Amino acid sequence: MDRRDFIKQSTLTAAAFGLSGLTNLVARDAHAAAVDVSFAAEGVFKNMVDGASIFTWRFRDLNGFGPGDLSSGLVVMEGDAVDITVYNDLDRPINLEIPGVLEGTPAVAPTGSHTYSFTAPSAGSYFYHDNVNGEIGRAMGLAGPLIVMPADGSNRLYAGGPAFDRQYTLVLHELDDRLNSAVAAGGTYDMSNYEPNYFFVNGLSYPNTAGDGDTLVAMNVGDDVALRFVNTGVITNPMHFHGYHVDVATRNRVPETTVITKDSVLVNIGECVDVMLACNQPGAYPLHTHYVPGVTANGVYVNPYGGALIVMSAS
Amino acid sequence: MTNGRTFSFLGPNSAFLNVSMNRTQVMADGTPINAWTFGSGFNNDRSVPSPVIEGIEGQVVTVTLDSMMPHSIHLHGLDVDQANDGVPSTSGYVAQMAMGGFGRVEGYTNLGTPFNYSFVAPHAGTYAYHCHVDTVLHFEMGMYGTVIIRPPDGSTNVAWAGGPAFDKEYIWHLHTFDSSWHQGGGSVSGPGTVRHRPDYFMINGRDGANTLTDPTTAIAAAAGERVLIRTNNMGYQPGLVRLGGLEFQVIASDGRPLPATIVRTELLVAPGERYDLLLQMPPATDRTATVEYYDIRLGGVLGTASTSIQGGDAGGTIFNDDFESGDLSAWSGSVGG
Repeated sequence: MDRRDFIKQSTLTAAAFGLSGLTNLVARDAHAAAVDVSFAAEGVFKNMVDGASIFTWRFRDLNGFGPGDLSSGLVVMEGDAVDITVYNDLDRPINLEIPGVLEGTPAVAPTGSHTYSFTAPSAGSYFYHDNVNGEIGRAMGLAGPLIVMPADGSNRLYAGGPAFDRQYTLVLHELDDRLNSAVAAGGTYDMSNYEPNYFFVNGLSYPNTAGDGDTLVAMNVGDDVALRFVNTGVITNPMHFHGYHVDVATRNRVPETTVITKDSVLVNIGECVDVMLACNQPGAYPLHTHYVPGVTANGVYVNPYGGALIVMSAS
Repeated sequence: MTNGRTFSFLGPNSAFLNVSMNRTQVMADGTPINAWTFGSGFNNDRSVPSPVIEGIEGQVVTVTLDSMMPHSIHLHGLDVDQANDGVPSTSGYVAQMAMGGFGRVEGYTNLGTPFNYSFVAPHAGTYAYHCHVDTVLHFEMGMYGTVIIRPPDGSTNVAWAGGPAFDKEYIWHLHTFDSSWHQGGGSVSGPGTVRHRPDYFMINGRDGANTLTDPTTAIAAAAGERVLIRTNNMGYQPGLVRLGGLEFQVIASDGRPLPATIVRTELLVAPGERYDLLLQMPPATDRTATVEYYDIRLGGVLGTASTSIQGGDAGGTIFNDDFESGDLSAWSGSVGG
């Protein structure tokens, strides 16, 4: 099955799931399902948008993929029994943790495997990552999004929370090629020297962000659109919206009550921020980090390629 | 200052901006830095930031850009339509040639032919504008400024219709320079514009000792006067604002009132964000306010801009809400909690 067919199937599954957004769902057929997935933790040379080839790490879903260019990502329902079996094909120990859900888990030695089991927690946006290697694990790419939908099957961020017509998961991360080179050589890196030079949304840089169905935010005027920012990287991301203000709905799954209506939303390190966009005008507008070096690919700004900039297109 | 303003402005509702790419900003240590600016600079007395533009809520605002080089004006936070958004690949600007791009619908003008941006002014509050051509460099070079939208009646002593009144009004435009990016007249590109290592830390274009006494920044008010500080982070680093330990109200962000006013002694303003702070001047005040610029990992302070808060001779009151000072290491990205 090729990728597009899987998306179609996933979308159908999503419809049955009562979810009209474009986030891919793990195949499932009942409430409180058993979700079994297998991830290979592996090294891979990733092509940057400017042609550079950089050694990265990833969790690759052996039967699926994540949004955009990410090789894994999960959408489950509250109460699901989730088993994630991790096969470690890297040269050093790793583990899989989910902040707020699954922490302090056992490590997997190289060539080993381990099954991490948990019950899907309260609805909201989460991520999983390797924590044995600390920030280096996330900077190398060993992370992915976990979206938990409400048990009542509603298109809401959480039971009784904001309802949406569409939803997008936007995973923010970045890399410093000097770190990747050091790790590729079997070494490590002093993270106090970390200064990233490539920046991604769902593993993609502009303009590839605009050519990807999971990452191009396609809307109709009148839609309520949920955008789930998941920062798996190790820098802050002040995300600026052109064309629209949004309402910050939750930060790390806690409803925001203080500073709500924004055009520039700080997504902190390791933070999940869900915002609601009420689409009230047509057009094509960028959504990008206002740490503008993050809109570049190693300093090249947008023309012909760049970094963490995506397009919102409303008709 | 009339109507409490401590800065000059263009408008209301119309502004004409030319461009200069050979301005010089002299830093407190005497170093001249090449800067690019719109118009005649902040208060006509310094290159950066660019002039303040004012508009009135509900009325049409026109900003005209006249440039001999490719530049644009992005009206940051004003939620203008695509044609007026100032993004070269989608919107109108002053260009040498048409550029392709996602969903491009609007034209451009040739170099030397003014381009008019227009929009209906949204909710009263604090906004920004900046060049969106090769933004990573043009923004760093100084092509940014503040937009203030006044309430529908045009009053200049009320934050928005039905909102808090104030006696004095300051803009704190937060920004930094990485001087290496300014060398060669802004010819740095590629890997030279990705790792930003600022060495000058400013408010309103002033750094070091000059910030302490700059009348556009240093707060002077009588006890009991209500001072509105419009913070606008147009740099690449988050800035942690403190008013020398004084409590202040946070009344709005990004041009929208907060659902409920909150009281803080410190506030992180991230790149692109604006927060409107209201300080009621206490008696006998002599404080040093600071903006600590953090790296993008919030791992440490890169540098600090400081200014003074002085006055408050008699009879004032201060906010007495209990407030526990925040801890940046546990910063949630929100001023809540």
